[in-house]
Amino acid sequence: MPLLDMKDVRGGYGDADILQGVSITVAEREIVVIVGPNGAGKSTAMKAVFGLLNVRGGAIVFDGEDITGWAPNRIVQRGVCYVPQVDNVFREMTVHENFEMGAFLRGGDLSAAYDRVYGLFPDLKAKRRNLAGDLSGGQRQMVAMGRALMLDPKLLLLDEPTAGLSPKYMEQIFQITRDVRDAGVSILLVEQHAKQALAFCDRGYVLATGANRHEGTGQALLADREVAEMFLGG
Amino acid sequence: MPLLDFLNFYLVPGIVLGSIYAVGAIGITLVFGILRFAHFAHGDMATLGAFIALALVAGGMDPWTALPVAMAATAVVAIGVDKAFYDYLKARPKIVTVMASLGVALMLRSVVQVVWGVDPRTYATGIVRPDSYFGILLRPRELYTLASVVLIVVGLALFLRHSKWGKAMRAMSDNPDLARLSGVDNRKVTMLTWAIVGALCAASGFMLGINTELHSMMGWQLLLPMFAAAIVGGVGRVEGAVLGGLVVGIAEELSIFILPAQYKAATAFALLLLILLVRPRGLLNGKVL
Repeated sequence: MPLLDMKDVRGGYGDADILQGVSITVAEREIVVIVGPNGAGKSTAMKAVFGLLNVRGGAIVFDGEDITGWAPNRIVQRGVCYVPQVDNVFREMTVHENFEMGAFLRGGDLSAAYDRVYGLFPDLKAKRRNLAGDLSGGQRQMVAMGRALMLDPKLLLLDEPTAGLSPKYMEQIFQITRDVRDAGVSILLVEQHAKQALAFCDRGYVLATGANRHEGTGQALLADREVAEMFLGG
Repeated sequence: MPLLDFLNFYLVPGIVLGSIYAVGAIGITLVFGILRFAHFAHGDMATLGAFIALALVAGGMDPWTALPVAMAATAVVAIGVDKAFYDYLKARPKIVTVMASLGVALMLRSVVQVVWGVDPRTYATGIVRPDSYFGILLRPRELYTLASVVLIVVGLALFLRHSKWGKAMRAMSDNPDLARLSGVDNRKVTMLTWAIVGALCAASGFMLGINTELHSMMGWQLLLPMFAAAIVGGVGRVEGAVLGGLVVGIAEELSIFILPAQYKAATAFALLLLILLVRPRGLLNGKVL
């Protein structure tokens, strides 16, 4: 049974349905990427998992439990953490305080969680007292991921983690994503850089106009001529 | 003019007045930063706090013992005002809440006028001679005012920097959406903010009252310099509010050099215009207005 099983989900922010039936599964220790053209509903599908959408059809099952229609704070407590695409750090707080806010719901002894996060992002250890707003874009993205990892989630949702980053940082973020996966966390991410993302993920979904269009392993999708023509632009 | 005269007649009164503005301005900046609206009832809430302290003093309490009690009582009033009025408007555009706070200001002032009347009052009668500290003349009440302000500012800074809920308040001010995603309960932060703001209001009203006199319009007259202080320092920044308060207070006292004393109150307004013109985010880079 997959960790996340999203079946034929329909819904939107207001009354109009942006998602017209999206089905996505994520297994344990798997990196799954959602790609597709602008307006395909990629980020919207991810937000549906995190309870930020009015879901009007279908079901979202996480870890054997139906979480359809749950509020985000309840979903967080079940072990799903979400990193928004923009404004994903507390700019006026230090790196360390950002991590601390990530564990706001947990309390107790956090030293193991800090060790884990600083282990994944060694660059940030020296900058732990810097304000997150003063860091480079790539490092801010690491702070954002670190904040989400503080609760020790089973599933991490990343909304375009490489948007606006240089190729060097993009590679680094992908590498860290693999490290996080190897540490036992499943990852669902939305990506604009479809080629690079499909090359590094375990499985991928191609969405178009709010519905599933293609799915398969990253390599298979990259090799698919239709996918290449439609979304990857050669 | 000899240096000591300048210190005693201009700078020291400026610092005392500025400290009082600073305490009020911190509250304004907290409401603006965390709850995102300009709170026009701030001054009249300060008046109410000052008169609550007066009632305690009339009951036989020492004024400086009455202060913390009045702060606690006004904190409860502030939470009540939020629950009774602002809470219902939180889904509406913020300007609606701003206007509602103007209504709350009039209500609070009327309560003060009905209960305590419209005549000026004092906490203690009689003339107090200042003591000399190496030539600097300070009355005990001025000394206590400065000490209380330092205590309040340092205490609040430590709370915001190191406590779990202080950090939650900063997070809410910094990035409300992410704070909610992190599991911060908006209602608890709102309630805590109002408790602190109410207490700060009472402190500023009390300290103005003990250094001058109490009357039902005192808070309303505090409103412009307090807003000026918050904006001059940088909206949303506690340290900015302290700096802004001191700048406005000292500037008001020094304005006597170049303007007739009746224009003292216009100084805050002139400073506000100046800062909005040359550095709209305030001295310490606050939020964009």
